[in-house]
Amino acid sequence: MEDTRYFHNIIIMPPRDLIYARLGYRRGKTKVDDRQKEEIERAIEQAQSFMELKGAAKRIRIEKITSSEVVLAQGITFDSRQLSSMLKDSNEALLMAATAGNRIMQAIKVESDSGNLTRAVILDAVASETTDKVLDWISSFYKQELVRQGLNLTSRRYSAGYGDLDLKHQKTIYDTLGLNRLGVKITDSYILIPEKSVTAIAGIRQAA
Amino acid sequence: MDAKKRILSIIEKRVLILDGATGTELQRRGMPQGACPEQWCLENQGIIKSIHKDYMMAGSDVVYTCTFGANRVKLSQYGSFNIQATNRKLAELARDAVGENMLIAGDIGPTGRFVQPFGDLEFEEAVDIFKEQVKGLLEGSVDLFIIETQMDIQEARAALIAVKETCDKFTMVTMTYEEGGRTLNGTDPVSALVTLESLGADAVGCNCSTGPEGMIPYIETMKPHASVPLVAKPNAGMPRLVNNKTVFDMKPETFASFGRAFLKAGVNILGGCCGTRPGHIKSLTGVLEGKRPRPPRKKAISALSSARKSVILGIGSPLVIIGERINPTGKKDLQKELVKGKTTIVLGLAREQEEKGASLLDINVGMPDIDEAETLKRVIYALSPLISSPLVIDSSSIEAIETALRIYPGRAMVNSISGETHKIERLLPLAKKYGAMFILLPLTDKELPATSRRRKEIIKDILGRAQEIGVDKSDIVVDGLTMTVSASPGSAKETLETIRWCTRSQKLLTVVGLSNISFGLPQRKWVNSAFLAMAIHSGLSMAIANPSSTELMAIKMASDVLTQRDKDAGLFISYFATSGQSSGQEPVAKEEASPAQNVYMSVLEGNREGIIDHLDKAIAAGMDAYKLVNEIMIPAIMEVGDMFDRKEYFLPQLIASAEAMKKGFEHLKPLLEELTSQEKGTIVLATVKGDIHDIGKNIVALMLRNHGFKVIDLGKDVAKEEIIKAIKKYNPLVVGLSALMTTTMVNMRDVIELAGRHGLNCKFIVGGAVVTRAYADSIGAVYAKDAVEAARVAERLSS
Repeated sequence: MEDTRYFHNIIIMPPRDLIYARLGYRRGKTKVDDRQKEEIERAIEQAQSFMELKGAAKRIRIEKITSSEVVLAQGITFDSRQLSSMLKDSNEALLMAATAGNRIMQAIKVESDSGNLTRAVILDAVASETTDKVLDWISSFYKQELVRQGLNLTSRRYSAGYGDLDLKHQKTIYDTLGLNRLGVKITDSYILIPEKSVTAIAGIRQAA
Repeated sequence: MDAKKRILSIIEKRVLILDGATGTELQRRGMPQGACPEQWCLENQGIIKSIHKDYMMAGSDVVYTCTFGANRVKLSQYGSFNIQATNRKLAELARDAVGENMLIAGDIGPTGRFVQPFGDLEFEEAVDIFKEQVKGLLEGSVDLFIIETQMDIQEARAALIAVKETCDKFTMVTMTYEEGGRTLNGTDPVSALVTLESLGADAVGCNCSTGPEGMIPYIETMKPHASVPLVAKPNAGMPRLVNNKTVFDMKPETFASFGRAFLKAGVNILGGCCGTRPGHIKSLTGVLEGKRPRPPRKKAISALSSARKSVILGIGSPLVIIGERINPTGKKDLQKELVKGKTTIVLGLAREQEEKGASLLDINVGMPDIDEAETLKRVIYALSPLISSPLVIDSSSIEAIETALRIYPGRAMVNSISGETHKIERLLPLAKKYGAMFILLPLTDKELPATSRRRKEIIKDILGRAQEIGVDKSDIVVDGLTMTVSASPGSAKETLETIRWCTRSQKLLTVVGLSNISFGLPQRKWVNSAFLAMAIHSGLSMAIANPSSTELMAIKMASDVLTQRDKDAGLFISYFATSGQSSGQEPVAKEEASPAQNVYMSVLEGNREGIIDHLDKAIAAGMDAYKLVNEIMIPAIMEVGDMFDRKEYFLPQLIASAEAMKKGFEHLKPLLEELTSQEKGTIVLATVKGDIHDIGKNIVALMLRNHGFKVIDLGKDVAKEEIIKAIKKYNPLVVGLSALMTTTMVNMRDVIELAGRHGLNCKFIVGGAVVTRAYADSIGAVYAKDAVEAARVAERLSS
């Protein structure tokens, strides 16, 4: 089993389409004048400068899959029918995590507390969408490696707290990846701090 | 014939054909999943030899050794290997397979780790790792090198330096670009090209990640800036999912049909990556037979790059501003920070200068008792992941400059190389080795020339010395040498003449440090600005200046228009539209609007800055404050709500309008005593226990306040007992609860049940990303899908 890989200084351009869509923008319907557009774009750039994108990932062999449970090497177990179904053709799982860091969260709080909620909301959207993109970044990184081994990643990934995968499994991923090394903490209710931190599981399966 | 000459001679006549995939071909021929390809090839020599041979028979001019992962980082995942011997043996197998006449490229792939400043692998360690591989491949008699599938420009640089410091073989470097046209680390094809061709790559290009169709645009983008042949090695199409398995299934004929488009785009070297087979190469060879590729357009290029951006320089282009502020002279806070090894102020200065219009950033960390090389390295590492402007390395220390050039993940410019003997002797070769551009300072050990005549002689002399070691004119920017006019009144004319001569008769780029000109004079900014305008007219290419000076930037923008560098004045117009400076034009039509209309529009457009002024004008015009609120502002915010419902507005606009409304309302408050005492009632808001996502709840609070409710916001992660306590204390009309996650949403039910047990009859509104109308119904609450609906529901419940 490989060691956890940590990625520091991940560079990702803010995914503008996703950020605008998250904020409710509808192409062809929403009308934004130049002054508003300028304000939004400035906030996106500001958010980008506050982001400290980091990630971690690890490939782990799947020992056993039943209809309701996935058992990885070292006895790491996830009880979820949906996850079992997603991983049914996979021999390995890829555990991933991403964080936007503390500075962006402080910036959102400062803007929110000082009554500039417009900017806070945009920073929040940038942080959320960009953090999700870090998981895409990690997936792309592994895909490069896997393709030469005749393997590929499942196009879907699954996160604790969604569907029937209980949020408690966030702790399993947190511990397995050693996310404290990225400055991420986990609360008793399994919430990651900084808030813009995410974890996910994807499957690694054989290519044709 | 020497391999390098042979390759160049082929490229002059036709496209050099590379081989197809090795990894996916090994899998087809039996390599089991999870096997180490290098080890498996050593154990199954016949198979790898047959692959090499098949590519040769298909028409490849070059085959790659099966050493993509044969570095110590990758191989350590499979056990203990003698790296040099492994590389040597795999190169020998290729030679055995294809014979002496075939060209064999020693294949160097990524380590799988990112190199500083983008990862934790130290730059020199990366160079060592690759040197070990290079040595083995050379022992196996490879003819050339291919550094491929690179996603980190710094790793590509480390590998290229490793090859160049070990031998003089032809070396190609190919990066791999993701869907958005950048590497995983954010480098675009032109920036990679500028960095790698200047560092000594003999050919540059791209491989993997995409099929031929997706790769052609990268070649097209690079071609105008390429001084070396361009390489493409696409996959056999984009991977497709068939029966839950990934396949590359582009047929050889289809793959080859893109050959002509590649040729048109400017490719010189072509092959195939993942999924391609000997059949693809054979078809490609057939299509390209007899076709002559376009040679590189230039011998060298005036351009600088960072890991994320390139700046193409040229006579007649808009003036480039080099931000001068990262310099500790006269900045005590910066001095202290640099001594402590910190970089916060540097980062702030870099960001500010970029924002104000600097295209390049001058970095000077020189001060007494500081390890300049180490400090420069730290600053470059801090800036490179976060700042996109290429850097100008400004130092008098040769060691510091060498350190910086070696580790800078782009193409930097040295400030400066003068005619002083030790600088010529030591800095010129360094600039050549690392492919840096440099500022030529026309002075010598003995002389600071006062006249343009002497400056021209010194420039010619240094130029000659530089050209002797292979530096091209386009790598050089001449400093016009700015002297202080208060001390030597004729000096400005001499500088301007030097600039004119360099530009017009020598076709050399030029630069000046602006501020020297005005020392000792009052109102220096006007002297600097006037001098800048004259220098631009004389042909100046770049200025080292403070981009925060609005006068200077305005003069630059205007001068670029007048000298036809900014041909359609697009940059000028855009600068004044976005810099926050007045364009000098009077607002059109707005003056015709009444004060009340302006207040309405301020709320509608979310103009938080303008609303107070418009309200004051409306009051001064005799409008009643109550009327302003009830007949202007409230209808305006209702209209905003309707526009939000119709999706004509999205969230930032809704909130900006709500903030404008709030600001206006607070401004009028002293005039509205009666109205404020008639608040519609109290609403308690909370994000439930376990949930820390509260931005949606904050938006709801803002909207409710604008609708005249008193809001008690309990915050986030609030225990049910606290909410009950607040209900008892404030007796609210409505309680609003929010949650973002399915796991915390259930806590809403607990709050409502506990309220019931306490005999509290208040109404609940619930909302949040995962909350649904059905869930709200099931727990006896009212659902609101967003802040606008929450305000409407609250109005309804309170009436």
